[in-house]
Amino acid sequence: MSEVKDAKTPRSKAAKWTRRGFIGAGVLAGGALLVGVAVRSGNPIDKLKPIVAGGDGEALINSWVKIGADNLITAIVPHCEMGQGANSTIAQMLADEMDVNWENIRVMEAPADGNYVSQHTVRAFIGPGTLPDRPNQVGFMEPTYDGLFTQVAKLAGAYVTGGSSSVRTTGQNGMRIAGAAAREMLVAAAAAEWGVPTSEITTENAVLTHAKSGKSETYANFAAGAAEQDLPRAPRIKTVDEYKLMGTSAPRKDIPSKVDGTAIFGIDGGPEGQELKYAAVKAAPVMGARVDSMDASTARTMGGVLQILNMGDFVAVVADSYWQAQQALNTIQTTYTKTELDTLDSDQMFADFGKALDDAGASGGSSKADYGDAAGVFTAAANKVEAEYKVPFLAHATMEPMNCTAWVHDGKCDIWTGSQMPLVARGGAAEGAGIDADDVNMHSVFLGGGFGRRLTAEYSNQAARLAKATGYPIKMIWSREEDTAQDFYRPADISRFSGGLDENGKVVSWNNVHCTEDEPNDAALVEFYDIPNVSVRNAEVEMPLRLGAWRSVAHSQHGFFVESFVDELANEAGQDPLEFRRGLLANSPRHLAVLDAAAKMSNWGSELPEDHGRGIALVRSFNSIVAEVAEVDMTSGKPRIVKMYCCIDAGFAMNPDGLIAQMESGIIYGLAAAMYDEITLKDGRVEQSNFHDYQMMRMDDAPEIAVQIINGAPDNLGGGGEPGLPPAAPALANAIFAATGQRIRELPIAKHFT
Amino acid sequence: MKIVAHALLASAAALGLAACSSEPQEPVEQIIVREAGTAEPAVTAAGASTDLAGLAASGKAAFAACAACHSVQPDGASGVGPNLYGVVGRAAGSLGGFVYSDALASSSLTWDEAALDGYIANPSAAMPGTNMVAGAEADVGRREAIIAYLTSLAE
Amino acid sequence: MIKTQINGRPEEIEADPAMPILWVVREKLGMNGTKFGCGIAQCGACTVHLDGQPIRSCSTPISAAEGKSITTIEGIADQDGTLSKVQQAWISEQVPQCGYCQSGQIMSATALLKQTSRPTDDQIDTAMTGNICRCGMYGRIRKAIKVAAGIEPSAAQEKTA
Repeated sequence: MSEVKDAKTPRSKAAKWTRRGFIGAGVLAGGALLVGVAVRSGNPIDKLKPIVAGGDGEALINSWVKIGADNLITAIVPHCEMGQGANSTIAQMLADEMDVNWENIRVMEAPADGNYVSQHTVRAFIGPGTLPDRPNQVGFMEPTYDGLFTQVAKLAGAYVTGGSSSVRTTGQNGMRIAGAAAREMLVAAAAAEWGVPTSEITTENAVLTHAKSGKSETYANFAAGAAEQDLPRAPRIKTVDEYKLMGTSAPRKDIPSKVDGTAIFGIDGGPEGQELKYAAVKAAPVMGARVDSMDASTARTMGGVLQILNMGDFVAVVADSYWQAQQALNTIQTTYTKTELDTLDSDQMFADFGKALDDAGASGGSSKADYGDAAGVFTAAANKVEAEYKVPFLAHATMEPMNCTAWVHDGKCDIWTGSQMPLVARGGAAEGAGIDADDVNMHSVFLGGGFGRRLTAEYSNQAARLAKATGYPIKMIWSREEDTAQDFYRPADISRFSGGLDENGKVVSWNNVHCTEDEPNDAALVEFYDIPNVSVRNAEVEMPLRLGAWRSVAHSQHGFFVESFVDELANEAGQDPLEFRRGLLANSPRHLAVLDAAAKMSNWGSELPEDHGRGIALVRSFNSIVAEVAEVDMTSGKPRIVKMYCCIDAGFAMNPDGLIAQMESGIIYGLAAAMYDEITLKDGRVEQSNFHDYQMMRMDDAPEIAVQIINGAPDNLGGGGEPGLPPAAPALANAIFAATGQRIRELPIAKHFT
Repeated sequence: MKIVAHALLASAAALGLAACSSEPQEPVEQIIVREAGTAEPAVTAAGASTDLAGLAASGKAAFAACAACHSVQPDGASGVGPNLYGVVGRAAGSLGGFVYSDALASSSLTWDEAALDGYIANPSAAMPGTNMVAGAEADVGRREAIIAYLTSLAE
Repeated sequence: MIKTQINGRPEEIEADPAMPILWVVREKLGMNGTKFGCGIAQCGACTVHLDGQPIRSCSTPISAAEGKSITTIEGIADQDGTLSKVQQAWISEQVPQCGYCQSGQIMSATALLKQTSRPTDDQIDTAMTGNICRCGMYGRIRKAIKVAAGIEPSAAQEKTA
């Protein structure tokens, strides 16, 4: 809001970035002075017009909002739809700021052409210090930041959906501004045309009205004029009490197509009018190995088979149908090159992890947090608790296995595949087809589950290579067995704790060392608890499997580790686990409110039937605070999860029912893993293959779930997709302890109750 | 932050690979069996092994899908489905301790290889009213292998 | 040549008789609503009706459909396009998340309600336990079945009550 009069912008190293970078009217407030980038005005709208506003009578207001001649408004969102409903919610935010009714809004996924990037997401993760307190507070650095992060995002091809971030970054900092700016530009256009002050014009349901003269026009009629207006620098956005759509459970735009079979997923997509061929593939089972020899003598004779290929890193059968390709592939005998991992099994790997922790000792490894004198205070503590926890690798197991349809033709390539990083998928296909990424046309589809799996390039790369080698348009589908064997897994981990309590049962020392690198950085940290002496470290280990981001990433294991250990400390102190935690949250009022709400929902402290127990856990992740209470019934000797209670403070729930659904989803995903799942290795290979040995939660064992929302910080949104997961496993383990006195320190739980 | 940091690295890698990849993208070996649209050779069923021991071995692997509901230990307990140790040659619906559907319980069938083959191919078609609503095996070669495996258990 | 009916249309299918119904429907008939999830009848994403009974089409050969009728998700709505009660409940309760499993869920739920018009929770468990939802929407699926059955009011009805 204040222009600094004589600021001398320092000469920038990045002076060559001279293009005004923002896509759409993304003018936001500045923070600290970071770096000066010379900018000059320019608007990429003309380049994007043919891609997103092809129809007659369509005007592109700014590149995120499209107004059709029929007065239907389209939100163009640079995120994928994988079940989290983000695109629909973001469109709600646009609609509200633009004063358009929900019925008149459409959602379109932004094309993967390098111009659309999720720069707000990038900024939130890389430069969070530059974000404003309120989305539209404008400082003089703002075009610089927006330009800077857009350029960074473009260079990195960061069109990304992940980190529970779409609504709280693109939605809150991008789409709302775009909507508000579009509205102001329309008002400006109407004011100019009618010769009246802008202050006398009102907007409602995509109609501009000048009450005094009785003039009224649809947005569509002024869209062309609006597109000529300057992009406003600080459009007025709504305050919470003005929200009409934001904060309501507007029905999702994609759901109707998901109940009648018309929704197109990656596995369904393909070129019109082309005869597809189908590929089944099998990659080398041990990481780093390659195909040494391939015996396809039976496969050659089988029905429908067209070609059999050894691609070096995988073998493939191409046939007239996927089933025929897979049947033939199943008969191929393959040998692989030797690797160091060929003799490794899970027991040995965990033994190696343990040794790495032993070697790290009391002070080795990388420090994640170090304040006070954790080791010294522990040694002198009145009461001590030590514990070691262990969790396995986990697979994503999206319902839709990995797949990609690729068509290489005339020096170009078209692909259909679900991806959380469309430019990465495009890049993988480009490399496979031997062409530039700009010559790859990626068609948007729904994802049958993402959960962090669909961030990689290998499956689009495989399909493009097969399409190029065979000359056919290829639909490549991984079997469930291949999908289980070739995941990018949530890492296995061992975490050791030593905690010290004083004679009053207060935690005075917290020491933790574990084996995984922590992404996000705060996953293993406990700064919201009042513990004065803390040391958190990680030791480096070799991982024998490819690693990836698995829903909530490092929070998935550290939530279990931390909240289980807090419970063990509570037990040592002879205190109720809820009261123990309350005593540590004096300086974290939002955490305390969430904890108390979850406890109240569950009737914490009230009597339960015999052999029943309650457990509580509290985790902050992706800027949301979640507490969960699990109620478990141990009557049969095996855990039956009766009910889960969940309270979330995500700042403000833009779509409450959507947020509740994401809590339900994260809880079930987390409980399935906690109860049943482990990916184990034998001879360097993943042992599990399908749903009979990698078990899912089902209708008959899924608990009832109750969710309560606290809107604790309306200008500081938290995420929804992942935060429901991390508290689930510890709440359950803590409940089992409460019911039986048995402390489970190794997941999955079911193996302790055979 | 790994999501984005990891993703940025991955995307940079993917994009960079286009320029100078160390990974060969072309096939090491490419067998062209036939061109699209041309006639197929005589169809061979899946399941390469012709010797019985090999067949039983591949049947054991194929049985993995059945193991979710059926155990095969001698005197093993039944679970969702009846224990199948010794099922080849057994009268349908006759294993003690398992609650069969009316269809199985009242059946006069003996589980010879042919009957098993038809049943596993499509249980509810072969025996309407059966409780086995999952686990059908469409591939004739895999069924043959599974039956060989089940036969081998009691030998 | 296999003579069958699909969503009320007579079809003559030219295919290997062992080819599972799932792939015949998707690849030969271009009907993509029925999905592939596991291939061994463990996940239910491929559920269709064969003479009104729910089957896992990934594990049922097309030969089994000779002389019978197959119903897929594309054939559940009325001829004029009106969604079935189950489909409407799926929307009113906002059931689908990623949606990939939901064709199979709807087919299983539809078969259940044809057989048992007011199912108990146990009956819902038995009928639906073969359908995995990785997004974890079991609570909503259960609710939507009850709404479609008229046992419970829909979310919209609850608001105005």
